[in-house]
Amino acid sequence: MENLMHLIQGFGVLFTFQNIAVTIFGAILGLLVGAMPGIGSLAGVALLLPLTFKFNPTTAIIMLGALYYANMYGGAFSSILIGIPGDGPAVMTLMDGYPMATKKNRPGQALLTSNLSSFIGGSIGMIILTFMGPLLAEFGLKFGPAEMTALLLVAMTSIGWLVGENPTKGILLTMVGILLASMGMDTLSGNPRYDFGSVYLLGGIPFVPFVIGMVGFSQVIRLMSERHQETKLAVSKLSIKESMITLHDFKRLLPPAIRSGFLGTFVGVLPGAGATTAAFMGYAVQKSFKSEEPLGTGAIEGIASCESANNAAAAGAFAPLLALGIPGSGTGAVLLGGLMMWGLNPGPLLFTNSPEFAWGLIASLFLANIITLAIAWGVIPFLIKILSVPTKLMIPVITVVCIVGSYSTSNSMYGVLIMFISGVLGYILNRTGYQTAPAVLSFVLAPLLESNMRKAFIISQGSLGIFVEKPISLVFIVILFVILLFPLIRLVLTKLGVLKVKEKV
Amino acid sequence: MEKLKSKKKISIMQVIPAIGILISLVFIYLGFTKYGFWDEFKGPKPGFFPIVVSIFMLVASLLSFFFSFKEKSVNWPLEDWILPLSVAGILIATFIIGLLPSLAIYVLLWLKKFEKCSWKTTLIVFGIIAAIVVGAFGMWLGVPFPKGIILNMISN
Repeated sequence: MENLMHLIQGFGVLFTFQNIAVTIFGAILGLLVGAMPGIGSLAGVALLLPLTFKFNPTTAIIMLGALYYANMYGGAFSSILIGIPGDGPAVMTLMDGYPMATKKNRPGQALLTSNLSSFIGGSIGMIILTFMGPLLAEFGLKFGPAEMTALLLVAMTSIGWLVGENPTKGILLTMVGILLASMGMDTLSGNPRYDFGSVYLLGGIPFVPFVIGMVGFSQVIRLMSERHQETKLAVSKLSIKESMITLHDFKRLLPPAIRSGFLGTFVGVLPGAGATTAAFMGYAVQKSFKSEEPLGTGAIEGIASCESANNAAAAGAFAPLLALGIPGSGTGAVLLGGLMMWGLNPGPLLFTNSPEFAWGLIASLFLANIITLAIAWGVIPFLIKILSVPTKLMIPVITVVCIVGSYSTSNSMYGVLIMFISGVLGYILNRTGYQTAPAVLSFVLAPLLESNMRKAFIISQGSLGIFVEKPISLVFIVILFVILLFPLIRLVLTKLGVLKVKEKV
Repeated sequence: MEKLKSKKKISIMQVIPAIGILISLVFIYLGFTKYGFWDEFKGPKPGFFPIVVSIFMLVASLLSFFFSFKEKSVNWPLEDWILPLSVAGILIATFIIGLLPSLAIYVLLWLKKFEKCSWKTTLIVFGIIAAIVVGAFGMWLGVPFPKGIILNMISN
């Protein structure tokens, strides 16, 4: 009940002209970014980050939160209409969305099914977040430096382990992100560290240009070879009237949407799992339930299960982000980086010290969910035009935003140089099978990890026993070792011939 | 024999973990020699955390290096590199003519000469970009764009 009161107060914070306007703006941008194949929420949030500098932190995070959330809606559009997922979480939507649009000739209904399922899943996620967020924060208050260190290590390594096909590569990039963040100044003693004699490096590697390069500019370089691919749309015209679903259709989508809503929320809370894993799991679980038509042939249940799960996961991911300061995904890491830049420290004390911010953000997600549903519905007739924008025209626009956005963070070309280097590096890494999300996440969390780890060692006078003395940290350390030893176990099993190494093309 | 030779060929798949090994060794060396690892009374020194992380990175790099021989190398489409080259050009041009003129020239040349777009499309996209850069970044955020050597000389 107390949480509901806080939520109502959150709506009080939210209901200013500026906050509502940025929620709408974020929702529209999120839909566009999600709908256009190849950009994704991570790049979208990173590119928009510099534009939020003028806002107060609450308004800024409301806009980015709405963008992130609406992106989950938008990703399905291109999956359904052109058979290319707008982002990772929309991959499973393609399985039934595209056949429903093409083979069953029901593109509008497929879009509306996706929108309604996203709304239901997101609503479930937000309701759980309202109650679970403060509980998680209360649990987080029991964490000392040792527990925080162990938790941060699990969060960092698990995303490296779960993202991409090769856990070793993920862990390697996690370490790269931490080392890059440790350059510049030692946060505890204030001494210069790994600056290699450069005045610029003395201030460290700036977060925003690094992220814009790693996930934005690298993505545009990748789009270069795809820019002449023609977009083949499943239909030439769409209308709101033709996209209405029947009561029978709604009855079909409701059970899988509710089921996946709960499942997706809990997957979203886990570090590293995120919306893509939730969508895959939602679809996999649906296979064990009855569907009116077989999955993969354009079944409403198929679309509902994955779309509901990915939106629920996006909402659920805010629980550990706000309550523990642990982002569950690369996009969450960028949001966390933004919060830190604005002087807010997400963690167990956020709900106590900055309730207007925490509850304002949660309330904004509710509003973004409603607004995005309305916009996603209203935008249906214009989707053909939006999806027809050629990639070759998007390349110079995104490139210029990358350059100007990186410059604007420090009003220095040093930012542009960092963006350029990280972009080329990100492109090379992506092409060779290294996912950059773990590097972004660890870059953001590294200062927190270092400070907690050093405090823990100071308390224990150098004894490692501090990490296994208390049950909470012991559990995290056991999980950490399982994650870290996995590549070694795999190596031994491969050597023994038990496992075959998958060759990458 | 040929198959064996191609298998042993060093590619980018080995180069990346090898760079990882090198970086971790540099961080470990500098950490121990320059920043220190442990103080008997104060505990961890500035080099402590990066050294610990570098050791993990060294292990991960070695494993990646080992696994990389099982992976096939990737191809590098030449046209992908045109964009980084253009941005490098913008970086250099900015020091001479300033950021905004450099961006304007880049957008016009890119759309009209490289992508062979019509004047109408070029101008529409140019207008959208100008609105974002000048409107959002210049006027709203108040970003002072660099003017370059020439404009600075004229204004002085």
